[in-house]
Amino acid sequence: MELDFLSAGFVSALFAIVLIDLVLAGDNALIIGLVARNLPKNTQRKVIFWGTFGAIAVRAVMAILVVYILDLPGFMLAGGLALVWIARKLLTPEEQGAENHLVKGPATSFAGALRTIVIADAVMGVDNVLAIGGAATGNVLLIVLGLAISVPIIVWGSQLVIRLVDRFPSVVLLGGAVLAWTGYSMVVREPLLASWFEGHPATRLVAAILIFSISLAPWYTARMAEQTKPLVVILPGVLVWMLAFEVVASVWTLQMDYLRATETGEYMLEAARWLGWLPLIAGYLWARERLMLRRAQAARS
Amino acid sequence: MLLIRHSNRANNAVRTTSVGGELFVASVVICMILASFGDAVDPALFGEAGLEFAIFDFGGELSVLAMRHWHLLQLLLAGAVLGVGLLVLRVGANTVIKALRPADRRAEEKVPIRL
Repeated sequence: MELDFLSAGFVSALFAIVLIDLVLAGDNALIIGLVARNLPKNTQRKVIFWGTFGAIAVRAVMAILVVYILDLPGFMLAGGLALVWIARKLLTPEEQGAENHLVKGPATSFAGALRTIVIADAVMGVDNVLAIGGAATGNVLLIVLGLAISVPIIVWGSQLVIRLVDRFPSVVLLGGAVLAWTGYSMVVREPLLASWFEGHPATRLVAAILIFSISLAPWYTARMAEQTKPLVVILPGVLVWMLAFEVVASVWTLQMDYLRATETGEYMLEAARWLGWLPLIAGYLWARERLMLRRAQAARS
Repeated sequence: MLLIRHSNRANNAVRTTSVGGELFVASVVICMILASFGDAVDPALFGEAGLEFAIFDFGGELSVLAMRHWHLLQLLLAGAVLGVGLLVLRVGANTVIKALRPADRRAEEKVPIRL
């Protein structure tokens, strides 16, 4: 999609990139501090400089790669689904004091420290670069601007970001929503599915609701009563069931419209489509109840 | 580790966000879903009978078709407007319900008059 410089679409995409940069910014200072703490003072300074430089270089290479990778068939869909998972993870609270799995311990040499910092940044930056690639819709200028915004955050902006999200936690929720929106737009832009979506326009709406309901589940689950929590699984499950029937009908060219059904087999298929999910949900609720009872019994004993 | 995890409030954003903040983000999400609804319907289908559909579009279902090409900033603005609208509706409804609530039996003779 072509976006003119400073058009509404361009500014919107830039805003999405800034928001994604804010909420998905990794703590490079912490990683560098952890890795370099046992090194001599002189080497520490070198590690801080070259570690930051290496982190920025890796981020730039990944940003260039993501533009080409997203052009390959199938990767847009995979990237969109990955963004759903990233949004969900962003909104799920993490336990405080959780260990940093990217760094095993302080490094003993300059090369070892540099390697750990660069690998840790690459791992931490994958989600950021992927989301920026999706929001930029292939526009190189937007990707460069996204990179230009994320670099100062890596180097100096950590305290500013922490203060901002501490004052306005809704920025994190908005970031999750924007990630879900970017994920949805990546899924519907997938070249392999474009013609299918053209032929089944209603499935776009189903896909949007499915993506938002899965991505934002940690948010609305926190507000739900215990008895209504199974809905978090049931509603997306029913949507997946309906979507699966659409896919199956397209692959095997089956008659799925009940107004056009003429044979018994077609009526049976319709019945399975509209009522088949009921026994599955009953089974899920029964299994959930049994599991909860067993847990309660184990806790009592 | 993400930077936002260093702040307790941001880490628990699903619980610590203010009512106003949640209302705003929820309104933006509603606008995003409405925009995808516009994306799901082919306007060419309504092209031939445009006026007829416009006349019978009492519920405004078809007007969301206009949202199909909206950008994020437009969705944010629409979300803010929707949020403010819902807030005004809530305050108005609360005022009406409060005014309609009958006085307590023990306070029947002391009719509260507030200026």
